[in-house]
Order: sequence, then structure tokens, then C-alpha cells
Amino acid sequence: MIGIPTAVLLGSALFLLLLLLATRGSAAAREISSRLDVPLLDDEAGLDPCPREFVARIFAPDDWEFVRGTKSRELQKLFRRERRLVALVWVHQTSTAIRRIMREHTEITRRSHDLRFTTETKLVLLYGELMVICGMLFLAIQSAGPQRVRGLAVYADALSQRLAQAQHDFKTVAARPELHGAGSA
Amino acid sequence: MTATVRLVPVQAAYDDLLKRSLSKISCDLARLIYLASTRDYNTGSYHHDGLAARFRPEIAGKALEIAHRQIFYQLSACSLEELIEQLQTYLDCSHESAADILRIWQKLEPYRVAIPVEVNPAVARLFLSNIRLALAIWRFRQEQAQKNP
Repeated sequence: MIGIPTAVLLGSALFLLLLLLATRGSAAAREISSRLDVPLLDDEAGLDPCPREFVARIFAPDDWEFVRGTKSRELQKLFRRERRLVALVWVHQTSTAIRRIMREHTEITRRSHDLRFTTETKLVLLYGELMVICGMLFLAIQSAGPQRVRGLAVYADALSQRLAQAQHDFKTVAARPELHGAGSA
Repeated sequence: MTATVRLVPVQAAYDDLLKRSLSKISCDLARLIYLASTRDYNTGSYHHDGLAARFRPEIAGKALEIAHRQIFYQLSACSLEELIEQLQTYLDCSHESAADILRIWQKLEPYRVAIPVEVNPAVARLFLSNIRLALAIWRFRQEQAQKNP
């Protein structure tokens, strides 16, 4: 049995390690991107978000089954390499979007006079959970391949959309007093 | 009101494009190549003389842009098996030799210019990756067929 302080310490160390992995994952994805075709954009605010069906497609096992059916080792190797890169690009894109959302949120909270502790805590925890999942995904994609982590990727996608929605709602509520102020001015 | 007025001619131009041009093209891959070819390399704007004559050039451009994005997302959502079928249809309908097209596509990757502007980067990467894989699988099948006629 370990004591509570040790457990907290171990938990914090694990959390920091996963955050570091998520950051390294993004850096690695950017490095990969510099060697290959489509550039990764750090500011993807103006771009289309990745539609949900594509997340399922990137991590789907059916393409792998199809390639495995050819019984060609070269094709299987090419598929694993290609799909791993696509999956890493998606993880990078997702973690970039999450960071952008939180940056935007921090900016708004600085100006807001009506902060709610529970809402803020929920958002921070959601953000932390997502960053940890991105770190785990980065590791798992590298070691096991994207097809094995489909469930986690779909979950991360749903969470990131929840975070985006929560931030959008918060922004709308925060903008209301300004609108009222503008109306009465 | 203004938005409706603006959208209706684009919708009409889009429908016209589908009816007169795109429906006559054999497969989505060929439609994508065709739509990408209507885009100016330097400005990224789309041109189609017939459509611009029936509607205004900016309306025609917008309709082409929408159709391009739509076909791109449609193709990117295909499984590898479906994409290989698309590639087969494209090669069958082409007047050039399939082996030559394959060689050039693998070497120069001309399909890269078929990606619309401002699509999601992960989807763009998925598309490129899938085309690369489809070409490799197609080639593998051809080689297998030659080995075991």
C-alpha cells in the first residue's frame, strides 16, 4: 500500500509526463509534416474542423483488413506508415484546436466579472483530460497503430467538440452584458 | 434577404454544373480532377466559360468551388477498396495507357493540386495518403496478374 501523498505525487508526475508527451507528439507531427505534403497550420481557426466521419475513417480497421488481404508485406508496411502519419496529424490538429480554445477562454475570463468556479473547474478538467488523451494517443499510435485506438480517438473527438461548445456558450454569455451596454449607450 | 438573394443563383449555377457537366463524367475521381482544372493556379479562383455565360462569373466560380469541396470530401470519405474502384474507372475511361498514367501519378503526384483550398489538413492528408495507397495496390494487382496470367 502507498500513502496518499505518494499517490498524489505519482499521479501528478504521470499527468505531467502525459502533458509532455502531448507536446512532444505535436512537435513530432510538425516535424513529420515538414517532410511531407500538406502543411500543418498552428492557427486553424479559419479552417473547417475535421468532420466526425473522417475521425472514424482514419482510425477504422476495415482499410487495414483490406490491405492485409493482399498478403503483401510491402503494402502492409506502406499502409501502417501512411495511416500512422495521418493519425498523428489529426492528434496534432486536435491538440492545437484545444489549446486555441483554452487561450481564447483565458482571454475572455480575464475580462469577465461573472466567473463561476464550477464551470471554470469543469473546463480546466476537460482540457486536462483531453491533453492527457492526446498524449496517450500519440504514444499508442506510434506503438500499436491507429486501428487499435479508434475508440479513444472517437472519444477525444467528442470531448473536444464538447469543450468547443462549452467555450462557445461561455463566450455568448460573456458577450451579453457588452451587448446590453452597447444597446443602452 | 440578401443572403437568400445571393444563395439562389449559386444554387442554380451549382445545379446547372451538376446537370450539364459533372453528370457526364464517369466517376468522382475524374470529377475532382476536372473541377481542380477549372481553378487558376495563381489566384485560386475558378473559371468556366459556359457557366459564367449563363450566370455571372463570380456565381459560376462559387458554384465550382462548392462542387470541388463536396466531391473532395466525398472521395476522402471513401474506403481504400472504393477508391481503387474509382481509380479503375478513371483509368478505364482515359484514352491514355493505364501503365503510363500510373507511372506519372506515382512519380509526380499530380493529384496533389486537386485538393481544394482551406480544407481540413487531416482530411487533405488522408486523401493524399489514400491515393498513394490505392496506386500502390493497383500496381501490385497488375504485377500479380502478369505473374499469374
